[in-house]
Amino acid sequence: MNNEFKAALLTDDTRFYREIDAQTMQEKEIRLNVYRNNVVVSLIDALADIFPVTQALVGDDFFRAMAKQYLLVSPPESPIISEYGHFFSDFIRQFDPAKTLPFLADLAALEYNLLTLTNDAEYRTLDHEEVATAFAQAEDPSELYLSLPPTTQLLTSPFAIGSLYQAHRNDGRLRLNQVAINECEYLLIAKSHLIAQLHVISYEEARFFKQLLQNKSLEEALPDSNDFDLGATLAKLIEWKLISYIAVQPIKAE
Amino acid sequence: MSRFTPKVEGGKFPPSTFSSLSGISLKPAYYQSILSDLPEVGFFEIHAENYLSKGGPARHYLHQIREHYPLTVHGVGLSIGGETALDLEHLKRVATLVDEIQPAIFSEHLAWSTHYSQFLNDLLPVPYDRPTLDRVCRHIEQVQECLQRQILLENPSTYFSFTRSNMSETDFIREIAKRTGCGLLLDINNVEVSCFNNRTNPYDYLNDFPLDAVGQMHLAGHTVDGNTILPLKIDSHDEPVSDDVWTLYQHTCRQLNSLNLASPTLIERDGNLPLLSELLAEARYADTIRQNVLMESESRYEQRI
Repeated sequence: MNNEFKAALLTDDTRFYREIDAQTMQEKEIRLNVYRNNVVVSLIDALADIFPVTQALVGDDFFRAMAKQYLLVSPPESPIISEYGHFFSDFIRQFDPAKTLPFLADLAALEYNLLTLTNDAEYRTLDHEEVATAFAQAEDPSELYLSLPPTTQLLTSPFAIGSLYQAHRNDGRLRLNQVAINECEYLLIAKSHLIAQLHVISYEEARFFKQLLQNKSLEEALPDSNDFDLGATLAKLIEWKLISYIAVQPIKAE
Repeated sequence: MSRFTPKVEGGKFPPSTFSSLSGISLKPAYYQSILSDLPEVGFFEIHAENYLSKGGPARHYLHQIREHYPLTVHGVGLSIGGETALDLEHLKRVATLVDEIQPAIFSEHLAWSTHYSQFLNDLLPVPYDRPTLDRVCRHIEQVQECLQRQILLENPSTYFSFTRSNMSETDFIREIAKRTGCGLLLDINNVEVSCFNNRTNPYDYLNDFPLDAVGQMHLAGHTVDGNTILPLKIDSHDEPVSDDVWTLYQHTCRQLNSLNLASPTLIERDGNLPLLSELLAEARYADTIRQNVLMESESRYEQRI
């Protein structure tokens, strides 16, 4: 019976109507509509909470219509609603009305990625003083190995979705026209202060962080480029609280 | 009776005001004020499904708040009324949370939300007949076994009745409590909403409800939906508790009191969140009603002497 109930909630299927105790078809519709509305509106609201920048970018009406199409084909597969929307970015990619915004699917994937990371476990990281002590004690700081939390991610995006995301998050006002959206971008996504943070980084920084994530020493990780400022980059890592460990030996991957 | 009894107060947590003062829903918007002001309130209630992540702000604040207050955990996703088997992986995650924070109460709904692997994010109704009763009881036993404690089952808010139902809701619930040993969470707002929508009398419902099994009460606000043909009350949790619900609550407190029972009460709020102080004022109002009922009965007793 719940198969029919579910079909009545998500489609035009009327087989379930015989189960509803009511005088008229109209009354059955009105009573069932409360549940239809609860299901559809609560799931659209959930997607709006998970994808706020995507919503801001396309506008409320467009987003809600798109979210409704999505939930009808992909209802949640878990009662943990903050995990809903796993396939939303894939859905957007093939959603014809959104084709004029080729970066939209990537932006939605980024938002989902950030929320997932926020809900992931925290790792202890070193504070400013602990980092300073480790460097002061080292005979040759360039031979030190720095590790970042294992949930840290480096992304290369063909669109400037990091800048777009930040333009929105900074003051809630979208400035799409101020972002060179077709520029490629390097992004560092990492958790600090309980929440996933997004950092738009340079190509050199991306190369450097990638080497650190592969357990290379500072010297091995250093990019061969005049544009790279080691001091400034390390200062960023300390400010973002992303150094979880400093060692004089290579650190085994977990 | 069940071999599972409610667990109140774990040793590592502070002394409890749980049974004497009403509680309120815990919402992220209130985390900071709660921790800075430490207001006087009986307990906070969380939805289990909002705290099952491995990390993040919600879990962080939950553990801080747990150091100062008793908690109750309200499940919204176990789908106890479902036709398909319980999601065991989800049940285990809930059990881990319950074990971790040792709530005074764990409660769930007489409703379903999952069918096979699809979750519909609403508390959908079940028919009151023998096969459903058997299934619901099996699921409750499974949950109590996994959590190793008694759970409370909440009466639903409904918008229609099933043609195939052949028991009253109160008989159905009484039978569940008898068979499984579970306790009951009596949601007074759900009584008002369901009785209004199904054209029955809420006082008849309350007089027929198995009050001796009630371990907690919920109070919440509702709205009336927009259609003019058949206005329905919607269990929206986004308004203050309405006057008709307060009156039903007072009636229920009198009934409970005549049985020498009292029940921790929650002011439930999920949307259109007011200032924390407004929710706390509603909790205090519930306390006042309970205390007045107690004084009424004491003065009646004195008169008789």
